[in-house]
Amino acid sequence: MAQTQPGGAQRVGSRFPKLTFILDQGKQFGPRVGRLCLTRPSDTPSNHLIDIPTPNFLIGTSRGVIPHFSRDHVHSANGISWINVSFESFLEQTPPVPTYQAGSQPLHDFFGFDSSRHIVSLSLRDPLDAREMPPNGNSHVSASCMRGVRKVTPADWRSYVLTMQPDIAFALSDTPFTAAPHSQKRMTKSIERSAAWLADLLRPSTPTALNVFVHMAGGTSTSARRAFSHSLMETLHGLEANAVKPLSCLDEGVAGYAFDLAALHSSLILQNSESLAQAPTPNAAHTPTSLSSSMIEPLSFLSLTPTLDELLRASLDPLPIAKPRLVTDVRSPHEILRLIRDVGVDVFDAGWAVKAADIGVALDFIFPVPSSHDSGPDHRKRDVGHNLYDAKYAYDFVRLSDAFLAGCDRTSSSQTPVCPCVACSPVALTSPIYHSKVDVQSHQAHLDDGMSREQFSPPFTRAYLHHLLHTHEMSAHTLLVAHNVAVLDALLTGVRAILSGHADQHEAATIFAREVTRFEEVYDGDMSVFHTALENWKDVKHARGKGRLAREAQKEKKV
Amino acid sequence: MQFEVIAKCHTTRARVCRMKLAHGVTMLPTFMPVATQAAIKGLTPQQVESLGITLILNNTYHLNLRPGIKVLDEAGGAHKFQGWNRNLLTDSGGFQLVSLSKFTKITEDGALFASPFNGEPTMLTPEESISIQHSIGADIIMQLDDVVSSLTVGPRVGEAMHRSVRWLDRCIEQHEKSGRKDKQNLFAIVQGGLDPALRDLCLDAMIERKDQVTGYAIGGLSGGEEKDVFWKIIKQCADRLPSDRPRYSMGVGFAEDLLVCVALGVDMADCVFPTRTARFGVALTFKGPLNLKLGKHTKSMEPIDKSCPCPTCASGMSRAVLHHIVTIETAGAHALTIHNLVFQARVMGGARDAILEGRFPEYLRSFFFDYFGDTGYPEWCVNALRSVGVDLMQGVDVPLVKGSGVRWEYSDAA
Repeated sequence: MAQTQPGGAQRVGSRFPKLTFILDQGKQFGPRVGRLCLTRPSDTPSNHLIDIPTPNFLIGTSRGVIPHFSRDHVHSANGISWINVSFESFLEQTPPVPTYQAGSQPLHDFFGFDSSRHIVSLSLRDPLDAREMPPNGNSHVSASCMRGVRKVTPADWRSYVLTMQPDIAFALSDTPFTAAPHSQKRMTKSIERSAAWLADLLRPSTPTALNVFVHMAGGTSTSARRAFSHSLMETLHGLEANAVKPLSCLDEGVAGYAFDLAALHSSLILQNSESLAQAPTPNAAHTPTSLSSSMIEPLSFLSLTPTLDELLRASLDPLPIAKPRLVTDVRSPHEILRLIRDVGVDVFDAGWAVKAADIGVALDFIFPVPSSHDSGPDHRKRDVGHNLYDAKYAYDFVRLSDAFLAGCDRTSSSQTPVCPCVACSPVALTSPIYHSKVDVQSHQAHLDDGMSREQFSPPFTRAYLHHLLHTHEMSAHTLLVAHNVAVLDALLTGVRAILSGHADQHEAATIFAREVTRFEEVYDGDMSVFHTALENWKDVKHARGKGRLAREAQKEKKV
Repeated sequence: MQFEVIAKCHTTRARVCRMKLAHGVTMLPTFMPVATQAAIKGLTPQQVESLGITLILNNTYHLNLRPGIKVLDEAGGAHKFQGWNRNLLTDSGGFQLVSLSKFTKITEDGALFASPFNGEPTMLTPEESISIQHSIGADIIMQLDDVVSSLTVGPRVGEAMHRSVRWLDRCIEQHEKSGRKDKQNLFAIVQGGLDPALRDLCLDAMIERKDQVTGYAIGGLSGGEEKDVFWKIIKQCADRLPSDRPRYSMGVGFAEDLLVCVALGVDMADCVFPTRTARFGVALTFKGPLNLKLGKHTKSMEPIDKSCPCPTCASGMSRAVLHHIVTIETAGAHALTIHNLVFQARVMGGARDAILEGRFPEYLRSFFFDYFGDTGYPEWCVNALRSVGVDLMQGVDVPLVKGSGVRWEYSDAA
């Protein structure tokens, strides 16, 4: 059995790739286009340059794998160029098992990602997990793994990062996942700790610097967020300056800014409901204590909690504009488009599209919306996808999206784009594995008969996926993840085409804003299709077991 | 079907055949993975094909319930419905009626069972089974047989055998008048339990109908019977079945069982074992199964098998990664399903090459030595292979193991 020792020490001399961000167009706040370029040291065996046009997306992993994808599917999904690994599930073992991986690119190698095509980042926590957690301490973050909660110190994290050699590392952040509201004292601490933990990761260690993304701390208070950003820009002195030499301020060592919406979403909902409830009360003249931000920035009792984009802008305002901005846990294409329009976000995580695949939704939307594409005759908005659990798809033998053609249907004249995913454009095979010398006869004969001569096989249909979902077949989710990620990729490709298709920045922004409005008019931003799909998914899940067909037949009768 | 024997083992009854069906050529002997509900669990048809697999199974019983015949008819058959353009075999549903439904009552007319939808009595006749299989459109379809558990004794076994013969005639009639004989091929299923006399009677009757069937299956085994009885029945059937018809052993999936069956003259076998065990975290290898859930794999940076061409091993996916995800992430099941299907295909592909090159006995010896050399040879395998002229014990010092001798990684201590 090949077991090596955790290799942190021996890798101190290795060099990290260099990440640069080129902002081609755009300003502090508003739609922007750019490029993220990762240059690997020239002595690495793989392709040295990965170039990702922005706005774009990254895809997260669960226990180190992209949900429902086997490795060949990861490689065939051309839209995927940035993968984030959350490390916490590996804390089950001490030292964490991935640290045993040998080689010059341990993170890529352990998880089977392609260093010539995939930027792989490493975060401690899963950014989509906003469940309540035990509090963090002055020198540890509480992380979650199957064996319970683990305390991770900045020193631990630094050693994991240096050992795993990610292309991008997320600094630890003191985001409270304890029950809201959080006091001003707690928020102050959060900001201080987050800055200190960032400084720890920025301490020089290798000939080339780590690419570090920092979570923008400050919760739902605009002033706290501003304060955190200011602390990044402050010129450092004395011991602090020495520790991160030659950096003059923390921001100098920061490659990008990350916003985790998971925690923000839940506290914003909480606060909005509370402040709305309190607004009409006549004796609410004193500041409502339930607002976590209230002590930092005394709010007038009439003002509502700041909106998401206000919070993001508050963080970004004091910071240089030419660094990439990453948002995790967006929940709809509408939210993505608004964050591009109002804030200027460059990278979004694909978690919601994967979640849609989990609950049986095949995404079906396109940006910009073609002129032929109006809301339905009854003036209901279009759904952003199909809930394939719905019985209406049982006989629907067509491709997953109306907005995209299947590979085998493509024509040179058609304006409709093709969905390149393995569900819509399955690639007929050319070279299977042979298990004996005579196997060639199987494949030769197949070709001679004219089978699989077309490049693409017919698409998988809604009817087939409907069947797979109702029979718990895992293939449904594999096909849906591939499809949904491709639709998300097309959305962002559409955004970039508009933004870079106009020489004049103002004009581009105006046209983009108009297209966003049109998208909002045509597609249902409430995502009601997700809610019904979730209900159906639960029904099928709960119905499992003996007598299921009978129970379901009963239910259908009632409807 | 075009069926051609292209090579025979000089010692055993093993043979290599070329079977051409409406959806291409499949080289035999082969193992057929099971796509019960029109999907190999977690994989896409393109992935399955890329593994070098050219023949899979669907279950008539399941497809008849979901998505139902109406959907399959509108889709244009199961091939189109699931996007599989290679060969497909469907069973008749007889086995599932017995294994899944407690209330099945067999009458001469057919199998009477409680509908899983509304509990109402529903009849599946041989004619209906065939016409459902016509809607599914598989390249090979199976007769409806009267299945009894292989542990059943007494007059019920004989009754079931005789009824299976009578039902075969009704299936033949239904199939003859369908006009689908050029695209779909009907296989008979030899029954008769563990009783050699009944098996002989069944063989007599079914061989008599040779001109109306394109192949033969050996049914009613792999149900917990003694392994020494199992191989003897397989041998009895394979010896007597006509050599110009494929022989299909139903429900056989362990590597040692497959190779014994091949040596006895079997061409095809199916089982859910490799795909099911994958979902439970077990990887099959030429040195025995690996239970990746066990703690001993936690830190192993080795792939399952360095010499395996499957996408899982070829990508270098370590046992440590697999240990971390199996039975938790669907991707873990996918990775092991891919590997296990390739393992089965390699066992059979290796047999084809060995038979072609006249070294099948050596292939058997080296397989058994790698697989069982450290734990001991199952006695029944030794007996079975001796019956066709291969002595596993010759020149090796390996203990004999009574019982089934199945290898399994139960615990870290193993």
